[in-house]
Amino acid sequence: MKKRISRKKAVKIKLVIMAALALSVVFLTLFAGVIAKNDPYQTCATSIRTAPCVDYPFGTDNLGRCIFARVLYGGRTTIAATFALVFISFAIGTVIGMVCGYYGGLIDRLLMRLADITLGFPQMVVAIAVAGILGGGIKSAMIALGITMWVSFARLARSHTFSIRSAAFVQTARFAGKNDAYIIMVHVFPNLLAPVLTNALTQIGTTMIGLSGLSFLGLGVIPPAAEWGAMISEARAYIQIAPWAVIYPSVATIITIIIFNYLGDVIMDYREVR
Amino acid sequence: MEHILKGINLNKTFGTKDRNIQALKDVDFYIDEGELLGIAGESGSGKSTLLNVMSGLIRPDSGELFYREQEYTGKGPSQTGKFLQMIFQDAKNSFDPRFTMERSLLESRRKKTDRDALCGILKEVGLDEKLLKRKASELSGGQCQRMSIARALYSEADILLCDEITSALDVSSQAQVVGILKRLNTERKLTAVFVSHDIALLSMLCSRIMVMKDGIEVEQGVVEDIVRRPKHEYTKLLIESARKQSL
Repeated sequence: MKKRISRKKAVKIKLVIMAALALSVVFLTLFAGVIAKNDPYQTCATSIRTAPCVDYPFGTDNLGRCIFARVLYGGRTTIAATFALVFISFAIGTVIGMVCGYYGGLIDRLLMRLADITLGFPQMVVAIAVAGILGGGIKSAMIALGITMWVSFARLARSHTFSIRSAAFVQTARFAGKNDAYIIMVHVFPNLLAPVLTNALTQIGTTMIGLSGLSFLGLGVIPPAAEWGAMISEARAYIQIAPWAVIYPSVATIITIIIFNYLGDVIMDYREVR
Repeated sequence: MEHILKGINLNKTFGTKDRNIQALKDVDFYIDEGELLGIAGESGSGKSTLLNVMSGLIRPDSGELFYREQEYTGKGPSQTGKFLQMIFQDAKNSFDPRFTMERSLLESRRKKTDRDALCGILKEVGLDEKLLKRKASELSGGQCQRMSIARALYSEADILLCDEITSALDVSSQAQVVGILKRLNTERKLTAVFVSHDIALLSMLCSRIMVMKDGIEVEQGVVEDIVRRPKHEYTKLLIESARKQSL
């Protein structure tokens, strides 16, 4: 009993720390304009590939742009696009999953076979192909990744809906004359929200890698827009003479992904011990 | 005499890839107003299927169902809920885990909320009003089952269908639930159907018992006849095993 309580406490502490770190990352990017003194798009011919110094804490790139400012502003693009994509996939996938799980039948079979087919292809290969067809831009990259992302939410929501719809409390609501829309909104959705939201949190890291990956390949944001993957891609050409131009956006990507992945894990642990 | 609930020639088959299982074979039943009917049988005898067919949760393949001589065959729980309520074996699972008891009980009523009636019913089942603020996870199994009974009464259904409602409870909670139901039958003229594998429990609680085996109704009659003068070998076996268990 004592061990269980102490584990619960430990998980709670971890959760608070990870949530604080995740919020810090979000706030740093949100207040990039206040924190960074330099304009992320301002080129400077006299400061090309300057090593980290007081004026340029992370140095400058090939066009003399401040990497510190670009990392902060780039984080805004990466994090905003990731959150938007995860949220849209969560919304679409959850609705599809609930409809399939609740009603079953032909619509369930059709949508789940579509999900199986989607899962049959590696996500990044599909994303590269779709982004290539749609052309550059963050919206194209989001669509390219979103085509496969909804599946995990749909499958999870479907399996939970399947068990909730046959639960005695749902049967009781039916006896009380409640219609399907009421049951889905009042009983099914709130009861599957926790596991699906946890899945959404664990998807943030993967999505960030996907978006940065597409930008790295030139299929994400269009230059000169700041984005971590695009910054790494641009700077790798002169990595030997200005390694900071690759190191800082890479470190920012790695740290952010670790924070959000770990936050997802801790939330899962918290749900277990709660 | 008009039966409050009646079923004629009910059949239900569940199909799998390999074989079909006939859960109900030409089953007839009836229940009169104010009567407590027990349905006994071992696992797989079809007693729970019969209860689900009665409630509208399962549609029979053939046969007819009547409530006060009005046919309701094929109608789902949203329609049958106007005159009957189910009480489930797993009482905790019959309440939304996020809901307080109050919200669950209020949800079950089709008519206008009547706070006085709700408090009166809680007293009848021996529960404190304070428990309304709690969730199912914060109540014991016995309290949850009594809350289920309160919910069914609050919905003002004419008939309660009880599926193994005491089997998940400890002995003292079982006795409490049985006592409450017997009292409600005397005071309110409660009409209920009880499904249980425990024929001894049914003989304490019910006025009439129906015995089922392999989807067939093997015997039915008043408790006295079933317990003292069982005609079917299977009924004798059930009674014998109940006697052995009580020793």
